[in-house]
Amino acid sequence: MQAVSSASPKMKGREKRAKGEQGYLRRAIGYLGRYKTMTFIAYGALIIATLSQLIVPQLVQAMIDSITQGAVAQQVLSIPSEQGRMFALTQLNTTQDALQNTYNSAPSWILGAVALILLVAVIRGLFAFIQSYAAEWTAQGIAYSMRNDIFIRIQRLSFSYYDRNQTGQLMIRATDDVERVRLFIAQGLLLTFQAFLLLVVTLTILFLTNWRLTLSILPILPFSIILFGIFGKISQPLFRDVQIRLSKLNTVLQENVAGIRVVKAFVRQNHEQKRFDESNQDLYIHWLKIARAFSFLFPMIFFVGQIGQAVILYFSGTQIIDGSLAIGEYQKFNLYLAYVFFPLGQLGLIVSLMAQASASAERIFEIIDTKSEITDKPNAIDLPSIEGNVEFRDVTFRYFSSTAPVLNKVSFTIKTGQTIALLGATGSGKTTIINLIPRFYDASEGAVLIDGHDVRDVKLDSLRSQIGIVLQETNLFSGTIRDNIVFGRPDATDEEVIAAAKASAAHDFILDFPNGYETSVGERGATLSGGQKQRLAIARALLLNPKLLILDDSTSAVDFTTERKIQAALDNLMQGRTSFVIAQRISTARNADVIIVLDKGAMVAMGTHAELIENSPIYAEIFASQLVDDSQPVAEAQ
Amino acid sequence: MMDFQRRALDQETRKAKNVAVTLRRFAGYFRPYWLNLVGVVVFTLVVVYCNILYPALIGQAADCYLISTPTTQMGGSGVATTSCWYTDIAQLTSNESKISGLLGLALLIAGTFVVSALFTGFSFYTMRLAGQGVLRDMRGHVFNHMHNLSIGYYSRNEAGEIMSRVTNDMDTLQQMFNFALLNVFQGLMIIFWIAVAMLRENLVYGLLSLAIAPVMLFTTRYFSNQARKAFRVARQEIGNVNADLQESIAGAREVQAFNREEESIAQFQKANEANRAANVRAAVFTSALNPVLEALSYVALGTVVVVGGFSALNNQPLLAGTSVISVGTIFAFLAYIQRINQPISQIAVLWTNVQSGIAGGERIFILMDEDIEIHDRDNAKPMPQIIGKVEFKDVEAEYVKGEKVLKGINFGVNTGEMVAIVGPTGAGKTTIINMIPRFYDVTDGQVLIDGLDVRDVTQDSLRKQIGMVLQDTFLFSDSVMENIRYGRLDASDDEVIVAAKMVAAHDFIERLPDGYMTVLGERGSGLSQGQRQLIAIARVALMNPNILILDEATSSVDTRTERVIQAAFEKLLQGRTSFVIAHRLSTIRNANLVLMVADGQIIERGTHQELLAKGGAYYDLYMSQFKAEEDVA
Repeated sequence: MQAVSSASPKMKGREKRAKGEQGYLRRAIGYLGRYKTMTFIAYGALIIATLSQLIVPQLVQAMIDSITQGAVAQQVLSIPSEQGRMFALTQLNTTQDALQNTYNSAPSWILGAVALILLVAVIRGLFAFIQSYAAEWTAQGIAYSMRNDIFIRIQRLSFSYYDRNQTGQLMIRATDDVERVRLFIAQGLLLTFQAFLLLVVTLTILFLTNWRLTLSILPILPFSIILFGIFGKISQPLFRDVQIRLSKLNTVLQENVAGIRVVKAFVRQNHEQKRFDESNQDLYIHWLKIARAFSFLFPMIFFVGQIGQAVILYFSGTQIIDGSLAIGEYQKFNLYLAYVFFPLGQLGLIVSLMAQASASAERIFEIIDTKSEITDKPNAIDLPSIEGNVEFRDVTFRYFSSTAPVLNKVSFTIKTGQTIALLGATGSGKTTIINLIPRFYDASEGAVLIDGHDVRDVKLDSLRSQIGIVLQETNLFSGTIRDNIVFGRPDATDEEVIAAAKASAAHDFILDFPNGYETSVGERGATLSGGQKQRLAIARALLLNPKLLILDDSTSAVDFTTERKIQAALDNLMQGRTSFVIAQRISTARNADVIIVLDKGAMVAMGTHAELIENSPIYAEIFASQLVDDSQPVAEAQ
Repeated sequence: MMDFQRRALDQETRKAKNVAVTLRRFAGYFRPYWLNLVGVVVFTLVVVYCNILYPALIGQAADCYLISTPTTQMGGSGVATTSCWYTDIAQLTSNESKISGLLGLALLIAGTFVVSALFTGFSFYTMRLAGQGVLRDMRGHVFNHMHNLSIGYYSRNEAGEIMSRVTNDMDTLQQMFNFALLNVFQGLMIIFWIAVAMLRENLVYGLLSLAIAPVMLFTTRYFSNQARKAFRVARQEIGNVNADLQESIAGAREVQAFNREEESIAQFQKANEANRAANVRAAVFTSALNPVLEALSYVALGTVVVVGGFSALNNQPLLAGTSVISVGTIFAFLAYIQRINQPISQIAVLWTNVQSGIAGGERIFILMDEDIEIHDRDNAKPMPQIIGKVEFKDVEAEYVKGEKVLKGINFGVNTGEMVAIVGPTGAGKTTIINMIPRFYDVTDGQVLIDGLDVRDVTQDSLRKQIGMVLQDTFLFSDSVMENIRYGRLDASDDEVIVAAKMVAAHDFIERLPDGYMTVLGERGSGLSQGQRQLIAIARVALMNPNILILDEATSSVDTRTERVIQAAFEKLLQGRTSFVIAHRLSTIRNANLVLMVADGQIIERGTHQELLAKGGAYYDLYMSQFKAEEDVA
């Protein structure tokens, strides 16, 4: 009962496709090959523990027999009248000496049997421990290996994979899904093996002990297997339903916590309460459905497991009475019976563990099997030191799923040391252009060339290590500020780090932290403002001293002073390098050597500010709209 | 180790501070279901009784039918067989009569199985009926209370923390009500009953047989506590693994851009290894628990056999004056011992579950008891149709006692006028606008709308007439249509579309895959920031309020969207009294009144032109922007 109910919350309703996923599960089990010795120990210990468990009823029988025989002997011997004693002896078909012998040796028999049982108990306990520990050890090992494999794969997947998949979903695969596979391998697989072993060995023993008795309980077996089948069939969709209702309820809850201001501002408490009550009632009804199904199924399962005992009592009793069965043998039979029904009871758990693990294994291998779309060609060469000439030759780019190009036949040539500003609305293709240069994506058609080398013909490492990149959103990694600055060049000296931080206007605020450059940041460290993060990102790029620079310049949500500092840092950074800048502000564009205006994936204009303001209506529009925002009040103030 | 044990051990355990009070409140929730609880107790008693009956009946089968020695047939002094009470042994003269008697007994045993199974089902269902009902009622109450709590509560407490109360704590309660409670109760009953039965049958023998029980209990406690400690470490380590994962998935682009794959993999493997080591350590204890318990139960078995066996052999009682142990008694005790072990280890593990459940319940009750700071006054009237005159009179406010966030705020606005509020972060701008729909109460002074103190009218009637566009646009995971309709639930589809057209949101909505019927992801994901804002503006447009509150977004949207939003705002503001936390100069220039706020006080007021002419703080703010722009250019 416990096993089944506790497994339930983990059933997330992904079981239905389980059938086709067995191959993945087999592959997951194949990971055991990495831990051969421990796996061998686990299963070896399991066999010893199980077999020693099966000896126990034999020993119990021996104990009981020695007690009953001794007791009978004692009673017969204590019959006062000679005649009565003789009659009893003939009835028992024995002699007084033999009986006296039995009686005398009974204590040592009992002690011997108990000592044996305790010995077996210790052995069994020891091996049960070894089995459980070794199984957990291998399962943790498999979880460890799988997480590593997932992580390694994730690190090398192309950007387009991240565009298609959400962080949360990838996280779930590396955590929940791995956990489910671990649970199956630590328990489910072992249980299956153990159940099979118990069933076969026990039935064999039972048949050898007393085949007639065994036949009397055999009809119960298929019945209970069918019952467990029904149980699984009924309960799994029920738990899936509850899970769906629960996540619905949590969505309402989540929305009301996060959006409490909106709810209050629009006076929608009653409306929301009604929504919640409906989901709440719905969840309640579905839980009750489970309760109803279980309150019927559980007792059935109990009953089937127990009824064998009554059957055995009667059939063995008749044999005992007519003298063809010793009472100890009956006790033994009864104990073995438990070992027949125990594995059957595990069946439900095994099936649900297996179904969950199969679905999870599929999702795990889906990641591990993903081919990175961007890899070095076999004959790729190291890119020589970059000079800074960049050419886009009829570059078209589209994502897999969509046939509409995100970039459409874009061509331009940039010379060493130029600053290029990319302008256009959201979705016009600016980001795609800068992502094609370090080969985060591959062009669908056309080519991107750096100093005449197609980026697809050179080694990724040699290409990316020569390009400095400041992304729109800066992620800091756990570690110190210094660790984050030397991110691209771990061998940089302290002087170089400080120089880079100074050039990017980060040095002062870094020193303001209590631990300066050694201040911990990232997920588990101090929080930095958006502007501070951006300056660290600039320092990080500057430290590479790249000839080619890519800036996704967005100074959102920073105050004016910070913005000015960042601007100055960026100006520093761009000097003497070929720089591609996604510009949000006209001031950046105005200073650029070349402005590329994009609209819906096409290059609509290219030239200097002076040229474009004359002959590009789109550029003029963008420019004008920003002028309205910035310059007019300035004029008023003057 | 069984899954349920592992799960029970791998859980943060908390102890409730005031168990009695929490239990009393649980009792309050269970009161409507008292009949169910009575049912649970009765049904469980029946189940336990059947469970107890079985070993006794098996013992009788042995004593009455199976062990009867030849002496009884001869009327001899078979002392040991006197413990047969099920039937009159004297009448069992033939094997046939024994067999038919045995059949009756076997059928009786089967009958107890049927009864036990049926009543297990009954007790299970009635318990769930009550438990799920209580959980439903509690969820409803918590949710209701959450709405009554003031905005202040939400700014003091993390959303994640509140969510965890209602989801995680409810989950521990669920586990407790669903199965821990019933199992612990049933287990206790079985232990109690078996103990009584054993002691009554033979006090000394019973005490000897039960001696192992406390040892088992303490062993379980010891291993459970050790395992819990190890799991706690493992949880921290898995937290590190997850943080590493999160970080490198979120920062995958940077890792690749800077060629850091190798280092990041090495770092991950370290965290991953630490997690494995912690889990393997926990496995030592979880793996040891069951084998040790099993071994102990064999010790109990051995004690029963040796002690009972010798007593039976010697035909002597264990202590002078007590009865001699029969073979049947030994059988019965063997069955008892086998039945008492399982509930003992189960209770030892589940007990923590019950503890955590009570602690979880306590935390939920604390949330339910959270003071509702803002009440409707007893004589509060509905707010009449708002015309739009708003006045702040010496308004003071504090979030934490003694720390004023607003000091002596005085200003008035006439119908249809626009107030722009400017100032640095933390100056009190948001607090000012939150006073108007009474999200916070003044600690001193008054906020008047059309001459009425906002505290004298009902909150609902007040807020229904005030439109708000907040900086962080919140959308529901529902269709665009329903998200806009949130502004006025009885609005027709056409009215929604008119509102969307008015704020120029119609075009982009039409371009969405399913137009107005497009269902938005969590918090409106799938839309750009600007688009989300337009929907929020349309929502307020549909509401058509006479007072409007806007918090201009600082985050960047592209220029064209920015202009569309700006135009939408301007349209919306027309003819309404409006309060704007302004980040755009164009907004400020259009305002009838600009309030420069710093440190919770209005330090300058007037129109944009007047303030510039004054050459004070506003001028400085303005010039710093102007100068920054110059430097950049």
